[in-house]
Amino acid sequence: MNRLQIAALLTHLVRRMRHHGGWCGETHVQKSTYVAQQLAGVPLGFDFILYKHGPFSFDLRDELTSLRADDLLHLEPQAFPYGPKFKITDNARKLGQKFPKTIKKYTDALEFVAEKLADKQVDELERLATALFAKSNFAGMDDHDRAAWINQKKPHVTIEDALAALAEVDELEEEFNSELA
Amino acid sequence: MPKHLHEIRDPIHVFIRLNTDERKVVDSPPVQRLRNIHQLATTFLVYPGATHRRFEHSLGVMELAGRVFDVVTHPYNIHDDIRRIVPEITDQNQMGYWRGCLKMAALCHDIGHLPFSHAAEKELLPEGWDHERLTRVLLESTEMRSLFNDMTPPLRPNDVIKLAIGPKKAKHLSFSTWETVLAEIIVGDAFGVDRMDYLLRDSHHAGVVYGRFDHHRLIDTLRVLPSPPVSGNAPAASPTQPAEDQPDPTQPQPPPREPALGVDEGGVHTAEALMLARFFMYSQLYFHPIRRAYDIHLKDFLKAWVDGGQFSTEIARHLEMTDNEVTAALLQASRTPDAPGHDAARRLTKRDHFRVLYQRHPDDVRVNPEAGKSVFDAACKKFGAERCRHDRYSQRSGAPDFPVLTKDGRIASSLAMSQTLTQLEAVSVDYVFVDPDILAEAQTWLQANREQTITPAEELNDE
Repeated sequence: MNRLQIAALLTHLVRRMRHHGGWCGETHVQKSTYVAQQLAGVPLGFDFILYKHGPFSFDLRDELTSLRADDLLHLEPQAFPYGPKFKITDNARKLGQKFPKTIKKYTDALEFVAEKLADKQVDELERLATALFAKSNFAGMDDHDRAAWINQKKPHVTIEDALAALAEVDELEEEFNSELA
Repeated sequence: MPKHLHEIRDPIHVFIRLNTDERKVVDSPPVQRLRNIHQLATTFLVYPGATHRRFEHSLGVMELAGRVFDVVTHPYNIHDDIRRIVPEITDQNQMGYWRGCLKMAALCHDIGHLPFSHAAEKELLPEGWDHERLTRVLLESTEMRSLFNDMTPPLRPNDVIKLAIGPKKAKHLSFSTWETVLAEIIVGDAFGVDRMDYLLRDSHHAGVVYGRFDHHRLIDTLRVLPSPPVSGNAPAASPTQPAEDQPDPTQPQPPPREPALGVDEGGVHTAEALMLARFFMYSQLYFHPIRRAYDIHLKDFLKAWVDGGQFSTEIARHLEMTDNEVTAALLQASRTPDAPGHDAARRLTKRDHFRVLYQRHPDDVRVNPEAGKSVFDAACKKFGAERCRHDRYSQRSGAPDFPVLTKDGRIASSLAMSQTLTQLEAVSVDYVFVDPDILAEAQTWLQANREQTITPAEELNDE
């Protein structure tokens, strides 16, 4: 996919997250993009590492800045003391209209991600996305070892919470596969 | 009695202070090589004063890293949540080690740079290589390991690597929360000392004032703080709130948010000044169109001149290759019509650079975010690819969203505290350059065809 197609999909995801009541700060966009890419198979091509609040892509951060520069995303300031939300612009809507086939191809996958993640708080997103990261990177490990790894990397995530997040990833994968794959 | 503490005069920080162990690293070939690498590539062809080198920048980054470390680890400045999630920050036995490690990482963070810094990096290194990877390889070399091992206390090279290039580029290494915080002191988006030093130094040498900000005040107000709250992660109650509104200590508390470099409230205005300095320096100096055109000619020359079109990633050959070797070859090629890269060399030495045919305009971006590429593709078809060049670059890093410690003890997002930061644009350039010989013709052509050239419509590859 070229840059504009990726921009159309990213802004579509932000729009659907907002539609479903999601906060859509940068952390939300980072985690939902990771889930869209890793679990729902949307080929956005961002490189994620385990960093702040779980999987994080510096390339995606740069691209979100470029989308702001290109008047496709705006930062919407929030009341004290909260960080801003992303909001798509009219230009982003127009861009989406120029890529009907691309949007159609991935719309169900992005809708699935938006529906499932929009109402989650940052703590929940961090646990879920980190669990997905552990599953994707340690295919041969069992969930107890993965939970221990998560707890070691993110000490504020208890083993019990990590196990619950790993189980939630299984459920999401199952649901996605039965509905959309 | 031998002297163990040394000072080096510096136009930005007055004195750079270092000990004898640190001076040995300064004297090592990889760091000394930076005396011959221009900080701003060909910018001196536009701003004649900008001839400064990566060497003094590296010393400056080292000096600032030490100052920031001392401020953020001062017991009076440590936030209670940070004490809990980053216990290392209060471990006095470890402080000397990490301070030394941070200073050496700061000193060495640029040793992997190619000649003329960033100008040639992307296309002149093998796939998967960049200056950070070269930095890592140099830091892992026998010579540097030995220098680090001889320090008191000895430094682990992997720790220096992590702090020097940060998590983005050291993907193969695992970072603790503390190491992530320390790396942010050097390479961080908002308050990395690399950026602080280059803004101050570049503006000083280029003779432009808009890169300046009150870095003394800013550094004094820097703190390691929990990230700003977002939806559902309720901010901690203020210590000044009535007792009945304070969280019940017998109830489980929400996990502290991850730490980030921020400021106390008194530093918000200097932080704004830093972000404005960054905005102006990018829009006026780093993205100056003629400077960008010269960088393109330099890249064209290097591609033709370097063996195989790419720089070597072997340490010995990297250390031998500086701006001096390139400049000598460039001058020679400019005088020799059949030399590889002659045309590009001649353009640099005779100031016969390509001229701007098109530059980004907000109205065009609304029609087509890739307007420059559309103009470039059409111009190549019309005039030939060898007479046209395209240069598109957007500011890296995220929004200036960092934690602020308010006077009543709460943590807030900087973007909830400052309209200036909220309104700050992300800088982006999109230039199409053409050979000066066809500039007039190309301008006439673009004027007649601008709208249809920029409108993307059928060009889009919607598959």
